[in-house]
Amino acid sequence: MGRELTFADPRIIRLVKENFVAVAADDWFQRRRKDAEGDFFRKVANQGPRKGQGGSTRQGIYTLTADGKLLQYRNHQDADIMHGFLKTSLAAWNRLPAVTRAKGSVEVAPLKAIDPRFAPTLPKGAVIVNVHARILDRQDDFYCHGTCRFPGGQRASHDHLWIRAEELRALMPANPRQGQEIAIPAKLIYRIARYHLVDNTRGEPPMWTRRDVRKADMKLMIESIDKREVRLKLMGSFLLATDADVKLAKRGYDVALLGDLRYDPERKKLTRFDIVALGGHWGQGTYTGGARLGRMPFGVAFELADPNRPADRVPPQFIREGGDYYNAER
Amino acid sequence: MLKLVVPTWAGLMLAVFALHAAEPIKPAQFEKLHALIKPQAHEEKYMQIPWLTSLWEARQQAAKEGKPILLWEMDGHPLGCV
Repeated sequence: MGRELTFADPRIIRLVKENFVAVAADDWFQRRRKDAEGDFFRKVANQGPRKGQGGSTRQGIYTLTADGKLLQYRNHQDADIMHGFLKTSLAAWNRLPAVTRAKGSVEVAPLKAIDPRFAPTLPKGAVIVNVHARILDRQDDFYCHGTCRFPGGQRASHDHLWIRAEELRALMPANPRQGQEIAIPAKLIYRIARYHLVDNTRGEPPMWTRRDVRKADMKLMIESIDKREVRLKLMGSFLLATDADVKLAKRGYDVALLGDLRYDPERKKLTRFDIVALGGHWGQGTYTGGARLGRMPFGVAFELADPNRPADRVPPQFIREGGDYYNAER
Repeated sequence: MLKLVVPTWAGLMLAVFALHAAEPIKPAQFEKLHALIKPQAHEEKYMQIPWLTSLWEARQQAAKEGKPILLWEMDGHPLGCV
């Protein structure tokens, strides 16, 4: 969270945009990849202090050349320090021979093979949905952004829901009728409940186990049809709790859902996937300490992502845990 | 005589959990809630930097443009939930 603030500094934004090619990566995947990209990253990291002994983290901020020379490494959140780091990195770059820095002087061949275990890719025909969670507070008869003592914990989180092609087909019937109820695949209902109705506002969250889903109710109905657009209304409610006796559950989310989904019947293309989840959340996980006390208002918003935007192609958080993301109903 | 009743922690939690299930979302509030929960522009300033998410693509672009690479590497994707 703090590093997001570092890169929000206008001096740093300007310096990076003008002088660097910026890339963000998940070290958990990157340090484990057994392919040319993983080899390249480890070669760079091994020139700095984070050599990954025993498979440990190599996280931090690196500046490097396209052929793999480490310019500098630092792992700090202070914007002044990181601004200085970028300037000295640029000075180190400028000290390299002009021929090394020239455009096209390094040849980078296409990546031939990708380690699928640690470089998950979007399945063919799947769509990406952005998922943002946020703590809320009551204000008059509505809600406002919540406040908490955890730095950055009041901001919206980011994750991505992947919906596979066969699931999309189930949501978009070939011969829609007004008032028709659409059977949402259980795989999708439980994927949303277990991996996307989570409190990830303070870091990597614990996901819900299959047993934690105490109630799962999600209905989808066709509201209107015209030549260019079919509109569907989604309604649902979930009770997610770490104990069957909700009063004893250390963590839980009692939540209602409402959604506005649309598709183009001719192109068979989903054009809107807006969902709001709103309810009371309580508890925290190992890496999400600092939760507010008691059952507090908590919302999650879903909307279609832009698949051409690199940040929207970041895999769902749950996939890195190695579980079966696509069969959450089991 | 006025008696001050101080709720115990357990009593407070029981009261909290005795609340009814989540109330249905009012359709009239849907758009407003959706916009409220999503990231606001002032929270996303770090996204003004055109981050790539492939180190290999960053190598190719850096080689082509004659620039150094800035790699933001975190345990948990920096543009994801951490």
